[in-house]
Amino acid sequence: MMCLGIESTAHTFGASIVADGRIITNVNRTYRPPPGVGIHPRKASEHHVTVSEVVVSEAITSPNGRQLHPDIIAYAAGPGLGPCLRIGATVARALASFLDRPLVPVHHGVAHLDIAMSLGKARDPLAVLISGGHTAMLVHLSNRWRVYGETQDITLGNVLDMFGREAKLPPPGGRSVEDLAKKGHRLLDLPYTVKGNDVAYSGLLTAAVNALHKGAAVEDVCFSLQEIAFSMLSEAVERSIVQTRRDEVVVAGGVAANLRLREMLESVAKDHNASFYQVPVEYSGDCGAQIACSGSLAFKHGARVSNGDSCVMPRWRMDEVDVPWVPRK
Amino acid sequence: MGASKIVMKPFHRGAEANLFLSTIDQWKVVVKQRISKAYRNASLDDKIRRERTLSEVSIMHDAKAAGVKVPSITGVQPETNTFSMTFVDGTLARDCLDGMSPRDATKLFEKLGAMIGLLHSGGIVHGDLTTSNIVVTLNGDPFLVDFGMARRSPDPEDRGVDLHLLQRSIVTSHLKDASPLVKALSTGYTKTAGRTIQESSWAKAREISRRGRYFAIR
Repeated sequence: MMCLGIESTAHTFGASIVADGRIITNVNRTYRPPPGVGIHPRKASEHHVTVSEVVVSEAITSPNGRQLHPDIIAYAAGPGLGPCLRIGATVARALASFLDRPLVPVHHGVAHLDIAMSLGKARDPLAVLISGGHTAMLVHLSNRWRVYGETQDITLGNVLDMFGREAKLPPPGGRSVEDLAKKGHRLLDLPYTVKGNDVAYSGLLTAAVNALHKGAAVEDVCFSLQEIAFSMLSEAVERSIVQTRRDEVVVAGGVAANLRLREMLESVAKDHNASFYQVPVEYSGDCGAQIACSGSLAFKHGARVSNGDSCVMPRWRMDEVDVPWVPRK
Repeated sequence: MGASKIVMKPFHRGAEANLFLSTIDQWKVVVKQRISKAYRNASLDDKIRRERTLSEVSIMHDAKAAGVKVPSITGVQPETNTFSMTFVDGTLARDCLDGMSPRDATKLFEKLGAMIGLLHSGGIVHGDLTTSNIVVTLNGDPFLVDFGMARRSPDPEDRGVDLHLLQRSIVTSHLKDASPLVKALSTGYTKTAGRTIQESSWAKAREISRRGRYFAIR
């Protein structure tokens, strides 16, 4: 069975074909705002409109030039930026209607975990989802991902992006901060906030921005920001491993591309004899493949929606989605 | 404390500390040692371990003085981030809750509510209140353990975190209909904390649970 997945929750418009669990194509174009500026939802959606045609046509062309004929069309129905979500949903509806194929709504966060689990070997892990939209530890229990711990304010992706913007670093903020952090070595005294299994990042972000404005070297601020923010998450992950007694850890989401964070989380997992699976960097950020992958699984378990009833849900919570395909066989 | 002279048996491996069983004369004691974390920057690691060990010991002492059932401190060794406390014989709430009758579970949570109410009205918050940090003794009394994240705080926000965490641990680890247990918890809590603290803490707990991702505009 061949699934075409359409991603458009935030800065990336992507389309991908997944056939029987194999990623055949994965085409993505990302909107990049100028340094110091965040993603403007309307401008991002205009970008998506412009690239949608070429992205979809590249995605339905196999590597050897043959045209692919998807059996189902999946789209990211949320959570995300409303104007961006609507572009993907509109493209998906048009294709489903024209090709007369079933339409499958997909939760973007669930999809991050689905592709990570499909490419790794985890069965029933503690999932760590770290991106611009989520920073959460989840375990699967009775048909759904349950949030075991999460950020109480902004996500780790927000922290890195917003700091990058304040420091006028070239986007994406996460990569700029990571590069600069390698040159820093002085650990500044910034707030470390873990509340039970939850973390809170806004105080840390404010303190990091203030330190920068008071003249601290940007490399040292990036270094300290990473060390403290990632230690907070690692500690929350460690507590979650112990309390949920899971012996597998899966790390997914855009911030999972950060090598220092991977190293820390892997060390935590090893320390508790848990197998560690991280999504390959090329599939960690938002991409069409995650939607196609999740859409295939959801369709097999009966998920579909008529064109008339299809909608987007900008604030769709992860623990509101039935996920009967976990634990994996 | 002379940790080198006494026999220590590994007892439990926690997220941030190792626990050992030992004896001082006829007393059974638990030795808690905060271990270094390889993932953490060394100076940050030292700071966190030292601060938490000292604060844990002093807060457990205060909690006991406030009438909360907690282990008694028997010794501290700050240089090794280690302290010892009396052993509490019982079962973790996370291991016995599922096997309990609804009546026993309700009774436990009312007692637990009273215990947390005492703690909070004494100006202390636990900071990591899950069913893994509650020991139920053979006669059904809940003891609070692991004060590593505890703080002195008069802020309803911090009390709300305690109540929020406990409710979430019921839902995520036991998947029970939490409402009868939460009701019992609240009844017990009001008895010891009084109406004013009860209202501000529970209002915050409700607010905090809606702070997670994508709850905000509902």
